[in-house]
Amino acid sequence: MNSTRSFRLPPQVGQPSNTASMMADVMVALLPALAMAVFFFGFRVLVLTALSVGSSILFEYGYRRLTGQSDTVRDLSACVTGMLLAMSLPATAAYWVPILGSAFAIVVVKQFYGGLGKNFMNPALGGRMLLATFPMLMTTWTQPLDRVPLWGVDAVSAATPMSYLHAGTLPPQSLGQLMLGQQGGCMGEVSSFMLLLGGCYLILRRVISPRIPLAYLGTVALIALLFPGEGTDPFLWMAAQLLGGGLLLGAFFLATDPTTSPVTPRGQILFGVCCGLLTMLLRYHSSYPEGVGWAILTMNCCVWLLDRAGMPRRFGAGHFSVLRYWIDRIRRSLAKIKFIKPQIHFSLRRDGKMPGEAHLDQIRTQAKTLASLGGVILATVLVIFGVHRFTDLDTARAETQAQQKLLSQVMPQAAFSSEIPALTAGALSIQAGYSEDTELVGYCVEVQAQGFGGVITMEVGVDLDGKVTGVAVTDHKETVGTRAMQPQFLARYVGMSGTIRPTGGNSVDAVSGATATSNAITAGVNRALAIVANLDMEGEVEYVDGEDLEEP
Amino acid sequence: MLGSFFGGVNPATHKENTRRKPLASLDLQPEQVVIPLMMSAVGSSQPMVRPGAQVAVGQPIAQGGGGYVHASVSGKVTAVEEWPHPWGNTGLSIVIRNDGQDTPWSDGPDPLKPDQITLEVLVDRVKRAGIVGMGGGAYPTDEKLRQAAGKVDTLIVNAAECEPYVTADHRLLLERSDRILRGAQLLARCVGAQRAVIVTEGDKLNAVEAVERRLRKRSGKVALRTVRTRYPLGAEKQIVQTVTGREVPPGGAPLDVKCLVLNVATVFAIQAALFQGEALTHRAVTVTGGAVARPRNLWVPIGTPLRCLLESAGGLREKPQLVLTGGPMMGTPLFDLDAPVVKNTNALICLAGYERRQEQPESVCIRCGKCVAACPMHLTPTFIARAVRQGDGRRLSKFHPQDCMECGCCSYICPARIPLLELVRQARTLLEEGGMEP
Repeated sequence: MNSTRSFRLPPQVGQPSNTASMMADVMVALLPALAMAVFFFGFRVLVLTALSVGSSILFEYGYRRLTGQSDTVRDLSACVTGMLLAMSLPATAAYWVPILGSAFAIVVVKQFYGGLGKNFMNPALGGRMLLATFPMLMTTWTQPLDRVPLWGVDAVSAATPMSYLHAGTLPPQSLGQLMLGQQGGCMGEVSSFMLLLGGCYLILRRVISPRIPLAYLGTVALIALLFPGEGTDPFLWMAAQLLGGGLLLGAFFLATDPTTSPVTPRGQILFGVCCGLLTMLLRYHSSYPEGVGWAILTMNCCVWLLDRAGMPRRFGAGHFSVLRYWIDRIRRSLAKIKFIKPQIHFSLRRDGKMPGEAHLDQIRTQAKTLASLGGVILATVLVIFGVHRFTDLDTARAETQAQQKLLSQVMPQAAFSSEIPALTAGALSIQAGYSEDTELVGYCVEVQAQGFGGVITMEVGVDLDGKVTGVAVTDHKETVGTRAMQPQFLARYVGMSGTIRPTGGNSVDAVSGATATSNAITAGVNRALAIVANLDMEGEVEYVDGEDLEEP
Repeated sequence: MLGSFFGGVNPATHKENTRRKPLASLDLQPEQVVIPLMMSAVGSSQPMVRPGAQVAVGQPIAQGGGGYVHASVSGKVTAVEEWPHPWGNTGLSIVIRNDGQDTPWSDGPDPLKPDQITLEVLVDRVKRAGIVGMGGGAYPTDEKLRQAAGKVDTLIVNAAECEPYVTADHRLLLERSDRILRGAQLLARCVGAQRAVIVTEGDKLNAVEAVERRLRKRSGKVALRTVRTRYPLGAEKQIVQTVTGREVPPGGAPLDVKCLVLNVATVFAIQAALFQGEALTHRAVTVTGGAVARPRNLWVPIGTPLRCLLESAGGLREKPQLVLTGGPMMGTPLFDLDAPVVKNTNALICLAGYERRQEQPESVCIRCGKCVAACPMHLTPTFIARAVRQGDGRRLSKFHPQDCMECGCCSYICPARIPLLELVRQARTLLEEGGMEP
């Protein structure tokens, strides 16, 4: 042994925590928020959490056992996943919901990619977002202190602070209520104070570093301050954005999941900032009020990039060494560009083949390329055709249903209708209505009339006696006077015949405050009656086109 | 964190057992001392004495590639033979039977006055006193001073004893602060440094007070810098970064950023060589650990078998699980208690079973990033470990594993108990061999 560096042991002392103890710390940190959830929503919360944790452990154990891998239940990561999944469910969720969520989280998101440390998406968040795709499951919130019974939950939808913020107004709850958790939302998300407590515990225990949560919350706070809702106090708006919804749970527990967040300190800060930007983008400009989950999942997929971008600077290499390196590299590669005279051979290849064979080979290669290209195009066309076909069918079905609905409004006695080819001036379309034993009962005429704000399109049913059977407005641009389109006013036309006048005999009174619209509808009905009368030569009533009525 | 180095860890210091115990002589003089011929990092020396010769304290008994080596006790040379060495294995050593008289060497150099000392005198004296880096490096100090002369602006006296358990430098700074300050001032003048900074950690409060009291009395270029306790502050590059904010370039030495780093024990030995004319024959050693009955700091002749130190510390309370020289983070395991104290031995630590880290099977990396946040050399141990295990040499070179200084922070902090330090070492060898493993 000839050197001081000859034989050394690794450090003989070490910090005592290991993976399992870190996971246990996370669970301890979640307990206060869970206790608050039990207080606000009742014991159903406990049952849901137990189901979620239990099924997570079971799926983890089962999958590892079935695939013959080592047993990893003891590292407690499945428990943490189950607990986080339960925390992000509404208290009204059915009992099968957490089981489905944990199955997806553990088996698909985590174990398919190799288990703990290798998955690229947060399992709990993956499970939650799968559940969020069932629309009615994740959008029904109960009011806090409105304890949910263990059995027989009726889904009452209560507004969460996030829905108020999404609409651009401050939520009705005070900041203290938001802090304590007296707000609608997921089980674990409501109590901001308890989540903060848990986050501080994790940071003090050095389970997580404060970089991600601070960067995340700081970015959200900054954007909320810069772009507050109209007419609101920016600071109140910022506080509501920070305390409402799943932001604190996401920032302290979901975004800091070690496996799915960057390794490098700079990458972690970037990760937090990007999460914050995406969250606010989704909160402001998406159709959902909350964006934390999607933001974190999206950034989870970019972790490799952030790790590369956040690579620590080499010790002693200077602050701008990376920039200098890139500039150098670009300069060198630019210097390498040379202009070479293209060498084009017009003779056939001569490597031991017959003169024509090379040409044949070339043709074969081209044919192969063309064939594969054609295959791809064919497949694409088939897919597009199939999609069109199915969507067309759907569209046609929807149209028929709408038509049927309209028919039942304007001509209740008809069972079905079919368009007749005769097109008369003034009518957009004319449908003949038939009773169930295919007997002609009347006509439905689609007409237009000038209303107050624009063209009103309406469907008027006229029976064979020239009487109105029903009126329905299908499209209009009215801003005032929509009262005249309410069913009880439209029903007054039923049974009328002949030319309807604004006043006097055979008249329908204009609805007060909506005279122009009423007149327009009357005119439309008149026109429809006229058209039907001209179709049906047996009519004996005198008809004048409605437009002329307004002249005098 | 600001104005200091990046990363680092905070191991439990365990210094409370010995930090209040003054430097004491051995209870029993050793019957014989064993002075290895190899006590410097650059090579070993040739003996100048034969068995049977009578030697006195401070008399040079060997010289050559490893510099001068002196007798630390007076007595008779009984043998020149292979003997266990604390750095591992065995080494040729001079065995001296102690006569207990401690007769000083009559031909020793005279004490000097400060105004007599120039750079040449300094370097010559340091060389003749056989001084090497006493913090662990064991690099010849005269060589270091010669290279540094005129090229440095900051002299850093390293009293940051960041390793757990060790308190030898702490006691030395506390008890000999006057002489250390004098030595630092003189050294700064001789190598042309504008200032000398004594760096110590906040947990050595009484030593900080002692130095400050003396600094108030004198006006000089010496300053004191107290830093929050964090491992590895005592590492050369980190201490330079903390004091000056400069980073030693990759593969370089502190000299490249105009700094000279000397351990506090080395500075003490230098001033003793100049002002008292003493050669490096004694040093401070901490004997501690959970298995030691009476942990204490000892001032021992170099060459004393470590067994004698242990006896002076009351022997063993229980069977130690591991005996180390140096601290538990970077120390060397000791296999034979007959091995002697050498010039860079700062501690003898007998760890009881409960003090060692529990052996636990390695689990998978959960990408927590603690090793990256802890590495003071800005490395990414987890990526290096993965590249080594995949045999990906091309990617490995992008992670610069050759910058590693083996402080062990990554292995210390890893919750999955991955042997990161060993893997980074493997990465270094892989790169040094210039090849990728298939």
